[in-house]
Amino acid sequence: MTHRFISHEKLSKLVADLVAANTRVIAPVHAHDDAEQIDYLPIQKLEDASLGVQLPRRSAKEFFLPTTEVILQYRCEKEGVKIEEVPSAAKPQVILGPSPCDVAGLEIVDKVMSWDYRDELWFGRREATTIVSLLCSMADATCFCTAVGLGPDSVRGSDAMLVPTAGGYVVRLITPKGEALFKNYVSDQVDALDARVDKAVAEARKRVEANMPAIPADFAASLERNFDHPLWKTMALRCHGCGACASVCPTCHCFDIVDEHDDSERGVRRRNWDSCQTARFTLHASGHNPRASQNERFRQRVEHKFSIYPSRFGEILCTGCGRCSRVCPGGMNLAEVVGEFRKLATAAPEGGAR
Amino acid sequence: MKSLQELAFKLLSEGTVKVVIGYEEGPRGVRPAFITDPAQTSKLIFDRRCTQNLATYLNPRRKHITALGKAAVVVKGCDARAVAGLIREQQITRDSLVIIAVRCGGVLEDPTSTAELTADTTSPRCGQCEVREPKLFDHLVGELPPAPPVNPRRSEQIAAIEKMTAADRMDYWNQHLDRCIRCHACREACPMCFCVECRAERALPQWVDPSPTSRANRAWTMMRVMHQAGRCVDCMECERACPEHIPLGLLARYVADSVEQRYGYKATEDPGVPAPLGVFRTDDGEEFIR
Repeated sequence: MTHRFISHEKLSKLVADLVAANTRVIAPVHAHDDAEQIDYLPIQKLEDASLGVQLPRRSAKEFFLPTTEVILQYRCEKEGVKIEEVPSAAKPQVILGPSPCDVAGLEIVDKVMSWDYRDELWFGRREATTIVSLLCSMADATCFCTAVGLGPDSVRGSDAMLVPTAGGYVVRLITPKGEALFKNYVSDQVDALDARVDKAVAEARKRVEANMPAIPADFAASLERNFDHPLWKTMALRCHGCGACASVCPTCHCFDIVDEHDDSERGVRRRNWDSCQTARFTLHASGHNPRASQNERFRQRVEHKFSIYPSRFGEILCTGCGRCSRVCPGGMNLAEVVGEFRKLATAAPEGGAR
Repeated sequence: MKSLQELAFKLLSEGTVKVVIGYEEGPRGVRPAFITDPAQTSKLIFDRRCTQNLATYLNPRRKHITALGKAAVVVKGCDARAVAGLIREQQITRDSLVIIAVRCGGVLEDPTSTAELTADTTSPRCGQCEVREPKLFDHLVGELPPAPPVNPRRSEQIAAIEKMTAADRMDYWNQHLDRCIRCHACREACPMCFCVECRAERALPQWVDPSPTSRANRAWTMMRVMHQAGRCVDCMECERACPEHIPLGLLARYVADSVEQRYGYKATEDPGVPAPLGVFRTDDGEEFIR
């Protein structure tokens, strides 16, 4: 990893040049409907962006897995159904200033997207995207990125990372993609980060660490052991099963596939965001639902993130961004639930083994 | 809220109810609480942050809650109207629960806020409140606090939208509804959305496309709001639950006002008053049928 310097003017020029070259540049901006909120949106110039103000409402996953997308079109003809595939080649895009937790989420989800089948649409966009994250100084009492092995300065998934300094940013160049993007815009090798930045990072890290200590490796096994623990019967009473948590989550990636008829002859097949928190997610055609109540559905979300995904892919499906707890209308809190089950990690299993 | 805690303690320890659904201090502000142990009743609170409508949890389809046994529920006057609605629409019976009503001085829009009640922070629904002293209850607790400041935001927005041309209105709603991701959080948080099978999820015939496209989002929201006509209690839980911050409370209020103008009906705490669209009346103006 090399460190370079970029002035505000040069970064502004970089954005202008990218936009002129038809590259979509996405950055945190003040939301159109609410000036107090931040959304990831396409920008035309650097001044449109509000970097490092607060965590955007949604994660950046929608630029790789859109809320809805057409995956094929079909037409019913006399000879049979004619299928037209949609192009999977993605247009180049740059995401400027996402928080490290959102960026790391993409790399974590890459694993399931290339597991039994390589998801062309996901990877088409992943490959066409250059990610320039911003060192995070926005941590609040709900963040716990350090507990899942990340941190305010984690470069996981980033091609480059901006670190604020006097007159501009120190650019950490991480991948060849990042180096290529900044090549003509950066100056001067920077040997070390500004001492003030180091101090700010250390403080941010300490703040997040105080919210939750690191999740131990045996937590997954403990969760599995406590699959039938009575705590699950009380944890999700206030959960509405709305799935708002999944919609704002940088790592929730489940989708549904539906056919929609435009008229009697033509139609499209779409994939749409879905969530295990809704009753219909596991509803069988027979009417049977293996996850009959919200207790089981909520347990599924926690188990998938902290036990199932780790056992299959070797890592936790959570970046500690805290959005699920911020957005929940029922006041559910993932950190609290994890905390409760951590207490059991060393205790004997209750309610029998799974 | 000592009287509330003492009452809950009594109800639980005497075995009158198995669970008290109320409010507690959570990791992020006030949140719903489900107290089953009398020793835990000291957790119960009621203050200006208790904005959630707990009647939502009385939906008989929430089997993991009904499994706990008979419930007592803490309600504000506005929430009591939802309880009345559930009784009116035969989802629950009056004697199946104990209603603990609290006198209310208005609530914050955001239960995680620590702000005082001001014209900016108070829920806009409190401005039109006529039920700070609830009428539907088994137990009424607390002293009546002074009326809260009126938050004019919603009535100003409705007035502004009424002045818009049809095209501008369409733009306004499209701008918001294009953000909808069809998570249906509005429905799940709504005390009056209790259909066993929502029309949005019928596949044969498919009334509404399930994908979050402009067209389908408009159809979904329109359908839900119209289905709430004369049923909505204006608790604004739909708007609070929406992760996309779509101002659904504007539609809810507008429809409630329209129902009042046409049918002289307002959401009421009296479960005996029939729903305006649930009765046949020979003196119905029927002015929309030409």
